[in-house]
Amino acid sequence: MIGSVRRVAVGLVAAVSLSGAWGASARPASSDIPARPEKIEFRPLRFEPPKAADFRSVLSTGTPVYMAQSKEVPLVTVIFTFRGGSYLNPKDKLGLASMTGALMRRGGTVSVPAQDLDEKFDFLAAQVNTSIGEASATASINCLKSNFDEAFGLFVDMVRNPGFQSDKTEVYRAEVLEQMKQRNDNADGLLNREWSRLLYGEDHFESAVPTKAMVESITQADMQAFHRRIFHPGNLIIGVVGDFEPADMKARLEKALSGWAAGEKIPLPPAPTHELKPGVYAVEKDIPQGKVYIGMRGLKRGDPDEIAIDVMNDILGGGGFTSRIMNRVRTEGGLAYSAGSRFSFGPYYPGEFRALFQSKSSTVALAAKYVFDEVAAIQSKPVSAEELETAKNQFIDTFPRRFESKRGIVSTFIDDEWTGRPADWWATYRDKVRAVTAEDVQRVAKKHLDPAKMAFLIVGRWDEIAKGDVDGKASMKEFFGGQVTKLPLRDPMTQQPLPAKQ
Amino acid sequence: MIRSIVSALAAAACVAAAAIVSPAPPCAAQQLDVQEFTLDNGMKFLLYPRTEEPNIIAAGWLAKVGSVNERPGITGISHFFEHMMFKGTNTIGTKDAAKDKEFRAKQKAVRDELMKLQLGEQYKRYKAGEIDDPWNPANDTPKMRELRGELAKLMREQLDITQKNEFDRVYTSMGASGMNAFTSEDVTFYFINVPANKFELWAWMESDRLTNSVFREFYAERDVVHEERRLRTESTPTGVFQEQFEAMFWMSSPYHWPVIGWTSDLNSYTMEQAADYYDIYYRPNNLVGVIVGDFRPEEIKPLISRYFSRLERGPREVPPVVTLEMPQMAEQRMNAEGDFQPQIEVRYKAVPFRHADSYPLEVMAQVLNGRTGRLYKTMIDGKKIASSARASLDIRKYGGAFSFEAETKGEASPADLENAWYEELARLQKEPVPEQELQKVKNQFAANTYRRLTSNFFIMVQLGMAENMGGWQELNDGPRKIQAVTAADVQRVANRYFDRKNRSVATYVRASGTDSKEDPELAKLGETMGPMVKQGIKRQLAQLAKETDAGKLRQGLAQMEERKAQAPAQMQPVLEYMAKKVQERIAELEKSGKGGGQ
Repeated sequence: MIGSVRRVAVGLVAAVSLSGAWGASARPASSDIPARPEKIEFRPLRFEPPKAADFRSVLSTGTPVYMAQSKEVPLVTVIFTFRGGSYLNPKDKLGLASMTGALMRRGGTVSVPAQDLDEKFDFLAAQVNTSIGEASATASINCLKSNFDEAFGLFVDMVRNPGFQSDKTEVYRAEVLEQMKQRNDNADGLLNREWSRLLYGEDHFESAVPTKAMVESITQADMQAFHRRIFHPGNLIIGVVGDFEPADMKARLEKALSGWAAGEKIPLPPAPTHELKPGVYAVEKDIPQGKVYIGMRGLKRGDPDEIAIDVMNDILGGGGFTSRIMNRVRTEGGLAYSAGSRFSFGPYYPGEFRALFQSKSSTVALAAKYVFDEVAAIQSKPVSAEELETAKNQFIDTFPRRFESKRGIVSTFIDDEWTGRPADWWATYRDKVRAVTAEDVQRVAKKHLDPAKMAFLIVGRWDEIAKGDVDGKASMKEFFGGQVTKLPLRDPMTQQPLPAKQ
Repeated sequence: MIRSIVSALAAAACVAAAAIVSPAPPCAAQQLDVQEFTLDNGMKFLLYPRTEEPNIIAAGWLAKVGSVNERPGITGISHFFEHMMFKGTNTIGTKDAAKDKEFRAKQKAVRDELMKLQLGEQYKRYKAGEIDDPWNPANDTPKMRELRGELAKLMREQLDITQKNEFDRVYTSMGASGMNAFTSEDVTFYFINVPANKFELWAWMESDRLTNSVFREFYAERDVVHEERRLRTESTPTGVFQEQFEAMFWMSSPYHWPVIGWTSDLNSYTMEQAADYYDIYYRPNNLVGVIVGDFRPEEIKPLISRYFSRLERGPREVPPVVTLEMPQMAEQRMNAEGDFQPQIEVRYKAVPFRHADSYPLEVMAQVLNGRTGRLYKTMIDGKKIASSARASLDIRKYGGAFSFEAETKGEASPADLENAWYEELARLQKEPVPEQELQKVKNQFAANTYRRLTSNFFIMVQLGMAENMGGWQELNDGPRKIQAVTAADVQRVANRYFDRKNRSVATYVRASGTDSKEDPELAKLGETMGPMVKQGIKRQLAQLAKETDAGKLRQGLAQMEERKAQAPAQMQPVLEYMAKKVQERIAELEKSGKGGGQ
């Protein structure tokens, strides 16, 4: 228990430590404890973000390299990143990008059989990964400094001359098909797939879903061609982190890339053309909760409102327990375990706004009502000074964390270079946050959020969900005129709609 | 400070391996130089300064309590406490502490009355079969409905003076991040990252909630936990079955019940039970603080003393966990049907933290795992019956378990995976692991010893978890013990823990009707006889399809007729079905000209 005596003493201590040097001697080890945490005096923390130029160099192939040394443990990490991804898939061979990415690691090299390569990497205790995602491809190695040369040599051979060994391809293909069978098992998977379709339309790569026939049609030649197109030094940025000497490392990288010809330039990912149709959508799934996404198209990076929107969304639903949606849906309502929102800025085309929660069937409508209430509230009234300050401080004071690890620094700069982020973005970031006002927050909420233009997607037991809660506080009749579009379950292997179960 | 030393034993092993293959990694063992520091009230702190991540400190504390310390009636209360600890104190979270106290007293009175009816009248009606669920508000009596309304009203009114989520807001507005906590069977762990100049904020906030907590929103928060249970357990493909398997696996041990608790218990915790629990387990003599990051120990020790010395040692000693797991006397099986990939788990009772056999068991799991591990080679690459397969050792404070888990591929059944596992096991029991294979695994352990020490946050979690189970020093000692494991050790443990009666098996098959290609006759048998019988038939059918010797099949058919005469009535349809299939196969072979026997 803290007695009132201690509380009285607090103001005094704070005053003393203002003038004195911070440390044990300035503050005697008495029982003085401030009444509130805001009254603690903290020494200032100075932090200037690192500059990309200090980490960047260029190889003779024109390939940029970001290097950050760390001698804490005798490990070295090298990351090769390439532009390109599933947006380059032929329409009838969706799944080619990810299969190529997986088989580069699993299928050996032209001269080393897959089994031998795996055994060597494992014996050397090297962690090697390759993957091709939606918009970028990565090959990375993390290994002990002591055997770097051997492990890295194998790694470079794998990246340059992958074998795509056929038996390993078949094992992987079978795995993919087994995964495919499970597509309708998990409610979150259903939710994400249907959400992408609503937002991006059927024919954009973000919503594209490979079928069994497509996966079966992918050949070794397909993978070789896909690999050749993306993996070359003209389409590469390298990151190195760990226990190495920069000059020495640069020489090794030069050697690794020598004789590797640059290929053609890769186009940027295409923007979606689909127009989202607002309304309620439901997928039937026998689970005791309704899983919900509510949202609409967002904005592209570099929008003048970007930072103000970050602050607005933090207050609305992005800030975890300090956000309004979490407060209303979870803390006050007890209606969900997780609830919140995100507003994303796409590097190549607009991202999305999405509020989400999951609640027992009967209270899905009520929780959704709270979400829409909060969207309306942040549009109609300025946020409080306290909320604004909490959100802004959060961005400003956690800013150093982006650069806390060497790996984080290098990853940030590589991403910035690929996506063309302005050079002074981080240097002025905190000032941009400081400049956001309550009026800005209200203005961007009005301008960029529009409930009438949103899609409201639910996976769960529709009949229970539609009825609403026992007390009659909300039902699904309240949204979009009570209309619902039932989305069919799709055959997991063909993605053709299945007849509804009776 | 981290310094690396080379274990003589491990180095010797490396040299031996180097002769066989290309240069092996140095089998160095990383040593953490952790400072221990204990206050007069018994609260222990582990300090580990680390400047690799400048300006940040990962700070946490743990209560040495988890579901293993619970008992029937209050299962899940450790996890519920984790939620309560974020609800504020007399200082944080309310605009009016006195009024807040009044509200809590009023709520408690109403709630106690309601609970009396719930556990009295409603349970009686439930037992008599008058209602299907005593906890469903739709079954409330008028009096209960009235009380529930009153409670809801009091909770609403209290919200007016509540500073919602203020605990989080204070931290967030001062630049702390990643605030969270978790509860397991053995521990409850609370943590956050604070800017390096704000360690005192952490000391203030955490010592405040450890001296000054009031369990605000005690009744409302359980709705959130119910949603968490629905999310994690009831809305995932295998969640409820895994819970049931866990409860079957652990018979007498308190690991028997789920961390999140049984639903009825979650509904009925009382304030007295909570206060009682707090008094035993949330006292400094049962707590450990763990600080990792950019600080100087001499700077933060006075702050720790000042703030955490205000915690008072508990009035009672922490009771020991008494109940041990009884030896299992027979194999246990569970057959689940649902929307999931057919899969299997075979689990064995193993050993607790720091048991001498835990190291060879750990090595054994690693021999089986990974793309060059045995499971991948035989089940995924070789027989092509699995789409994934792994072995794992689950080490806890008072017990442990070794699991084999795999998912099917193609037409394979869980039974195929189960049989393949027993073959793998037999190999480990009969033959010592070859030197090179063992060395590969040890090299990986050695490199991972470094990898796991590259983040403040994960170092903090690992130190805390090890300290809770018996001593943080395990982080330094464990890697050396792993390097000392011999092939004979692995063979010995493979023979010691993996006999039939020590195992529990869970099979998961798709609910009938989800397999479109299935013979309707077989599907019908599956419905009446159960999925295991169906899987058994499928397995035999697969073998039948491979059999090319019609003579052998005719012999088999004759034996089947004999057996059929003695078989119980409910097995008759199965045997008839099989006989029919054998006859079909014989006819097929005869037609293709292979019917001539030898």
